[in-house]
Amino acid sequence: MDPILRIEHVSKTYTGHKALDDVSMEVPRGSIYGLLGPNGAGKTTLIRVVNHMTIPDCGKVWFENHEITADDIYQIGYMPEERGLYKKMKVGDQAVFFARMRGMSRVDATRKLHEWFDRLGLSEWWDKKVEDLSKGMAQKVQFITTVVHEPKLLIFDEPFSGFDPINQNLLKEEILGLRDRGATVIFSTHNMESVEEICDDITLINKSHNILSGPVDEIRRKAGGNTFLVVYSGDTEQFNTSIDGKATLIGDSEGLIGGYTQQKIHIADDSDVRPVIGALNENVNLRSFQEIIPSMNDIFIRAVNGAL
Amino acid sequence: MSNKIGLIVEREFSERVRKKSFIVSTLLTPLFMIAMMVLPSVLMLKGNSDTKNVVVIDNSPNQFVGKQLTSGKTVSFNLLPEGEALGKARMQYKSEYGILVIGSDILDNPQNLQLILNDASSMSVEENIQSQIQGILRTERLKRYDLDNMDQILADANVRVNSLQTLKNNEQEDDSGMERTSTTASWAMGLILGMLLYFILIVYGQQVLQSVIDEKQTRVLDVMVTSCTPFELMMGKILGIAVVAALQIVIWAVLVIGASAFIMPLIAGQADMEAMTAAATAAASGSEFTGVLAKFTSVSYLAGLFLELLLYIVGGFLFYASMYAAIGSAVDTPQDAAQFNGIIMMPVIVAIMVMMSVMNDPNSTLVFWCSMIPFTSPIVMMARIPFGIPVWQVAVSLVVLYISFVLMTWIAARIFRVGVFMHGKKPTWKDLGAWIKMK
Repeated sequence: MDPILRIEHVSKTYTGHKALDDVSMEVPRGSIYGLLGPNGAGKTTLIRVVNHMTIPDCGKVWFENHEITADDIYQIGYMPEERGLYKKMKVGDQAVFFARMRGMSRVDATRKLHEWFDRLGLSEWWDKKVEDLSKGMAQKVQFITTVVHEPKLLIFDEPFSGFDPINQNLLKEEILGLRDRGATVIFSTHNMESVEEICDDITLINKSHNILSGPVDEIRRKAGGNTFLVVYSGDTEQFNTSIDGKATLIGDSEGLIGGYTQQKIHIADDSDVRPVIGALNENVNLRSFQEIIPSMNDIFIRAVNGAL
Repeated sequence: MSNKIGLIVEREFSERVRKKSFIVSTLLTPLFMIAMMVLPSVLMLKGNSDTKNVVVIDNSPNQFVGKQLTSGKTVSFNLLPEGEALGKARMQYKSEYGILVIGSDILDNPQNLQLILNDASSMSVEENIQSQIQGILRTERLKRYDLDNMDQILADANVRVNSLQTLKNNEQEDDSGMERTSTTASWAMGLILGMLLYFILIVYGQQVLQSVIDEKQTRVLDVMVTSCTPFELMMGKILGIAVVAALQIVIWAVLVIGASAFIMPLIAGQADMEAMTAAATAAASGSEFTGVLAKFTSVSYLAGLFLELLLYIVGGFLFYASMYAAIGSAVDTPQDAAQFNGIIMMPVIVAIMVMMSVMNDPNSTLVFWCSMIPFTSPIVMMARIPFGIPVWQVAVSLVVLYISFVLMTWIAARIFRVGVFMHGKKPTWKDLGAWIKMK
């Protein structure tokens, strides 16, 4: 499927500081796309380029198969990392105001917003002032104002920060729901668990460069590098000879409680695992055999340190 | 007007009008204004009783000066008998306001005149004494020529012109329908309106500044700039606050007029009111105000004048508000705004100074150009318009003013767009220039 958003060789320099250096990425339509990177890597600048808030020095941004224009930003819902709501304004009035700013009629906006407020448990706060809300509730209001006009593309900057685990889950469900109803979601985060759980694809930006891009499953499998964790009981020597020529040992074996031993092994890329399992099964009591898929957290740290 | 500007205006208006501070200031300011109106009158009435007592030691022949000095509201004279010693008087009359010492050769040497004070000096007392003595000496010197009917000549020569009728040339042979004009009244009216505009600029201009800074401090702008253009945002804010200002001023006008008609007599008390009315009548008699009242009875003239002045007040506010918006866009905190604030006030002060000079010549080159330049035109024109100036000048100046307003709002929007992403860094003038040019 054609990507909803394509970023081609975008660079942006602020006075004496390169925020983005030749960054390219493609966001597949209907996906949840994670934009990862350490603090100050250039994520927010990239988001601002997409939002047409910052004009890149060079490079192009394509939205729906045309170069993005100022009018396109109204089809993008953006929740900035630094949340902003008018503190003195009543919650409901404010939500209606933002919805109308994005082209909804007052009647539509009010109806839709009441649905959202009910769903996220905010109904009784409709007539309260924003400054009376807790941080989490203000976040929810901000989330609702971002999505209520049903934009094609949603961009969330750190959507889970400031939420307790229950509300994080609630929000996760809502984001997945939005995706299922046809929206494409880009979100930037440091929370790698949430990336594993809900992202289809990611781009990892470090020091203004795109250093890693692609589907999450593929990236993790690749980063694993065909290593496996084997748990067995039996003779270590026999274990070693039985895999000889088929796989190589990584590190030393480790004794486990209950007389089991655990060993990491590496199997040459593209080769079959069945001969290895067969040989082991004959010589030792095989307890488990499992591919090591690194967590996004590991991948993030290794990639940023240049060890991937 | 785009739908979004309308929405922002609506939000800005409804939020402000519902604030407690709006309601409080709307109700309290008229009270303050009425107090300002009542107090001077009350003080004036009180002040009249405070006559300064001056003891006079007159060494002139036959005390001819001292005998002719007349006591009035300002000064009351107490002429001491001939030959009174100054040293003794200085000790004896130390509780009086002062001692006036008139030299024996005063007629030939008018400088031989001293006022020894026990109290702070007062310009009105000095003026009173000087002018009285000047009159006395002039009369005495004329008398030295020993003409026959001296008294009659003097009385006849004492003429005053204080009611010059000024009329606007109607460029017709028939002199009916020529409008009366009045320099003093026109100028006073312009001055009052100019001050009103100045007041509006300071109070509501600051609100625009604050509003733009708030937008940045609450970080709403990230959301706003993805919903509308910065120009729409700036325009919406300026117009929204303008509507609030208009509403508040109308309420004030109604309250003050209502209060002065019904409440003031009650507060001031019947007796005081009568005294005040008497004082006001006395002040106005012989002045030009009666003529001016006649002029202002023409309804169409009044309506036209009001419309023109209104256009300037609105235009002046909008233009200055857009400058405040530009400053708000460039800075993060009201403290940072202070360094730019002076820049805004400078043209206002210049305008007020030029406005003062309008009375001398409402069509001088300086005044003309200052009434064309948008920075000064709203205030200077306030003073010029009542004098009756060509329509084309008003038209050109208004067009320039309103175009400048839109242009300045556009500049504010540009600065805003860039300034948004420059948190924590105070911009220099060079930065601002670069931001405006930036794509």
